[in-house]
Amino acid sequence: MEYAASALILIGIFVILATSFNLIIGFGGLMSIAHPIFFALGAYTSGLATTRLGLPIGLAMPMGALVALAASVLLSLPALRVSGDYLVIASIGVQLGMLQIIKNLDWTGGPGGLVNIPPLFASVGWRPAFAYVTLVLVSALAAILLVRWIVSGDYGRAITAMRDDEEAFKALGRNAVSIKIMLFAIGSGLAGYAGGLYAHYFLYVTPEQFEILYSSAMLTMVVVGGLGTIWGPALGAVLLEALPQAVKFLDFPSSVMAPVQGILFTGLVLFFLFAWPQGLVGVRRALHRPEPEEEVDEAGAADGAGAGAR
Amino acid sequence: MTPSAVTLDGLCKRFGGIVVAQDIHLTLEAGSVVGLIGPNGAGKTSLFNLISGAVAADSGGIYLNGRRVNHLPMHARARLGLSRTWQHIRLFPSLTVLDNLVVAPRLYAGESIVKCLFGAGALGRGRAALVERAMAQLAKVRMTHAASRYPTEFSYGKQKLISLARALMNDGNALLLDEPIAGVEGPAYDALTEVIRDEAAAGRAVCVVEHNISFVKDLCDRAVFMFQGRIVRTGTVADLMASEELTELYFGR
Repeated sequence: MEYAASALILIGIFVILATSFNLIIGFGGLMSIAHPIFFALGAYTSGLATTRLGLPIGLAMPMGALVALAASVLLSLPALRVSGDYLVIASIGVQLGMLQIIKNLDWTGGPGGLVNIPPLFASVGWRPAFAYVTLVLVSALAAILLVRWIVSGDYGRAITAMRDDEEAFKALGRNAVSIKIMLFAIGSGLAGYAGGLYAHYFLYVTPEQFEILYSSAMLTMVVVGGLGTIWGPALGAVLLEALPQAVKFLDFPSSVMAPVQGILFTGLVLFFLFAWPQGLVGVRRALHRPEPEEEVDEAGAADGAGAGAR
Repeated sequence: MTPSAVTLDGLCKRFGGIVVAQDIHLTLEAGSVVGLIGPNGAGKTSLFNLISGAVAADSGGIYLNGRRVNHLPMHARARLGLSRTWQHIRLFPSLTVLDNLVVAPRLYAGESIVKCLFGAGALGRGRAALVERAMAQLAKVRMTHAASRYPTEFSYGKQKLISLARALMNDGNALLLDEPIAGVEGPAYDALTEVIRDEAAAGRAVCVVEHNISFVKDLCDRAVFMFQGRIVRTGTVADLMASEELTELYFGR
């Protein structure tokens, strides 16, 4: 029971991470690898605010999200004003550098990690676990719906146009930089919120949990599920979180498990990028795509009909 | 006196050893159509890139309506009323033709997530007005039937017409058109000529890069001949084409 709950919570957290990472790389077209560090900033901020400062968890968790969001703006503001390409390099630097800082400060618990983080629901038994599972899954759904809202409608139209042709987009008077900063900030803020969720359930965070390698796990989820789709990353997160959990029952020694997982992730990314670049969700969509209509020839007579079509 | 829509004052730009603009002085006045002609590689499109802000000038001034805009990014120049098209069209393939136009006005409220969140009602009303405006531009180029379809469903020439309609959504006073007629034929040709004339008559300054000399002759009040990044001569199209020296530069010896 306990095991099922923590597996579900982990899946929900990775759904949030993959969904928010997809907002940045899939919809925003921003090449960042620093997603784990924003996850870490949320977890550590919330954990430290409660253990060291004694703040209530209800305040500390949103604080974690805000700190991650603010840090992402500080990173993207200079990087994106120059050129989008610098974001990759800047994000590697921030990911590695920040984690080193966390590892080397006493205040954050250093390499040993931060312990004794208070739980959100303190009582024992199945009730708090059930409540936490509900909270995480509702949060995950909310994250997906938030992303869906952002990428549809008027704002979504602007995002799509920007991704199609950035120069044409800018020449029309659209500010591409502000849109990118906004997407990066929202995505990173969500990762920070996921960090808070993680910290107050597992009650223990260490720097290793936020290593750069985790961004490849998140990338795998996004690519396998469907880059730039609404539900794809969630599907990818569920599959890739559930898969290793299932394999755990096979009881391989951990010395075998870790490399097997690495090979699995790498293999999946390569396979999907080459064979199914649209991801699992995209494959389904491709099968249902309607046939394109024949071009109506332009003529004065067709004008009236076209005007009423929308 | 109102300032010129576009003024270039001693504009220079070089990429390494290649000079794309050398001491360019040019004004585009409201209500007139200027043809920019010259052989390939003369620097015509580069001049558009400099004016629109895609490329930064090395020296010299760029003024829109009397305001120096050298330091402004591309989108800020567009918001001052500068609009352009490209030789290679550049419509957004993932958006319908109508949406290509809807995202194109100088100020688009949908670009701000805050306005989307808190101005929902206002934006809904704004959307209806925007669609109406977009349909009006499509009607000018006789492409209203394309509204709910995707750009790539149409021929090159028709995409050109759509891209002109999109540029008109800016409703500014300077319009730079890069080879608007290439690939356009038949009734569309006449429609295009008419639209460009109408836009100039409405008080816009239009500049056209074009290789089709009869089109330039039909349309332009004044032509500017460029060669190797320099303006070699300015005059009426007939005068320029009568010059043996320019014909030689154009076609080579």
